Amino acid sequence: MKITLVYAVLAALLLAAVGLALAVGQGHLSDPALRNALLELRATRVAAALLAGVGLAVGGVVVQGVFRNPLVSPSILGTTAGASLGGQLALLALAWGSAGSTMPAELVLPLGCLAGAGVSLAILLVFCRERTGNLVLILTGFILSSLFLAVGGFVTSLAQDQWDLSRAVVAFTLGGVGGTSARQVAAAAPLVLVGLLACWAWSGTLDVLISGEDEARTLGVEVGQARRWTVVWVAVLTSAAISVGGNVAFVGLVVPHVLRPLVGVGHRRLIPAAALLGAAFLVGCDVLARVVPSRAELPLGVITGIIGAPVFLFLLARSYREVEHG
Amino acid sequence: MASPSPRAKLLETRCLTVVRGGQPRIEDVSVAVEAGQILALIGPNGAGKSTFMKAVVGILPSQGELFLDGRPAADLSRRERARRLAYVPQHSALDAPMLAREVVAQGRFSHRGGWGRPSAADRAAVTGALESTGALALADRPFTRLSYGERRLVLLARALATGARTLLLDEPTAALDVAHSLALLSRLRELAADGHAVIVALHHLDEAAEHCTSALLLQRGRVARSGPVAEVIAAVPVREVFGVDLVPGVHFGYRAPEGEKP
Repeated sequence: MKITLVYAVLAALLLAAVGLALAVGQGHLSDPALRNALLELRATRVAAALLAGVGLAVGGVVVQGVFRNPLVSPSILGTTAGASLGGQLALLALAWGSAGSTMPAELVLPLGCLAGAGVSLAILLVFCRERTGNLVLILTGFILSSLFLAVGGFVTSLAQDQWDLSRAVVAFTLGGVGGTSARQVAAAAPLVLVGLLACWAWSGTLDVLISGEDEARTLGVEVGQARRWTVVWVAVLTSAAISVGGNVAFVGLVVPHVLRPLVGVGHRRLIPAAALLGAAFLVGCDVLARVVPSRAELPLGVITGIIGAPVFLFLLARSYREVEHG
Repeated sequence: MASPSPRAKLLETRCLTVVRGGQPRIEDVSVAVEAGQILALIGPNGAGKSTFMKAVVGILPSQGELFLDGRPAADLSRRERARRLAYVPQHSALDAPMLAREVVAQGRFSHRGGWGRPSAADRAAVTGALESTGALALADRPFTRLSYGERRLVLLARALATGARTLLLDEPTAALDVAHSLALLSRLRELAADGHAVIVALHHLDEAAEHCTSALLLQRGRVARSGPVAEVIAAVPVREVFGVDLVPGVHFGYRAPEGEKP
């Protein structure tokens, strides 16, 4: 398929998702008294879902490229769990007033997420070099995720004696864009934009790294530098996404897989396509979160998990079939 | 620092040594190649042919000196090295369905600027490299769907796309049938005639004797003999290193049919 056609279809998909997300939800737009307030609220959550989708999908493309492994994503590698734990700690710090006094509250959450994502990726890089197989990489990510979730549980328990704080921590952990403020969106937007452009700028290097570190070195890539910088930009993207969307999993796994057969494996084409589809996917999931009947609004992370986990199992089974049958 | 090497030498090593796990894998290997020369790197399994190549291209850390175009390699950035020296590994680690054209475009990485957008010159170099290896018809096919021989052509095209004048090929004819081996070695001769210097690791001494101008015979990581190919692939060194006798007067070779290009 022609690449421009793919981009056009993806852009149309995103526009349709955004239109639907603005039109659907509790309350009627026909009520003139509520119309502006409703639109403003919905626009904020659309923007939050869009940013989170871009961040996680592009992050997924880049980690799959850096680790040369199509079965990884920021959530499988424990990066989202790390960012999420960083965010929980930031909420705690805000509530206890130690961080809020020196910097605006909106910045504390993304910075906490950034620190968490950075630490998680740094640990992963120390343990997993290029030749690390699927199993070890996925297990390391699983162990990191478990560790961060356990510590996150401890953080949640610390927050229990304050109702507002524990509610904020739980809502953030479950993932969702319902409670995201316009100022949070404004703080995350530049991070997503910078991360997106930086990853796109590294796409030529990522294309060479596909052939492995040794060959990339002989072709002129400073491999260590490339790994460090791309990991920094993945941490920026993931943390910005988590700061506005909470712990949303599997976007970074599903989106690149859908796109590779359409746009190929070259990152220069894949990264913009992933940004468009990631945004459309998460905005669409947020619409689902609002319309699926349940006692309360479904958390976004629940929807992406329900869609993403079976897709991951399918991909895992397929990769083993390919290994077995050549 | 040592005095600069004469200009005519495209690549020179002095006392190149690689130590892995406390054991020297190659020791004091000194060699030089000039434009127009095809150097065969020969020796028994485990003699250090691949180690030598990996040390020269910077995959393995090494001691000793390496000069590219007369300049110490240590003074060159990765990109500058990649523009002078191209490497064709025995097996590529590439296992993604990247198009052959994109694989060859990897060879242009060292020429690109900050944002890395391929220029018209890059695209022309990619097409030219595919054409010159006879792989243009493969350009839009995924690398992972190509046969072993086709992959070798694409990897050679990637090396040519770098514009480097020194080419290192690690056992390029291993697992190729005679027709494909002949075509590839003939292509290397054309490249040498075009002003490239070629270092090629070969298992088959008949191929080395037929197509190369000089040879470096390695044994347990050390240079056993080096010089013109007829002096290295001769009865005494072959018996000493491989433990077999060359049979005089037996010639069993291949060539393309009259009037056809291999």
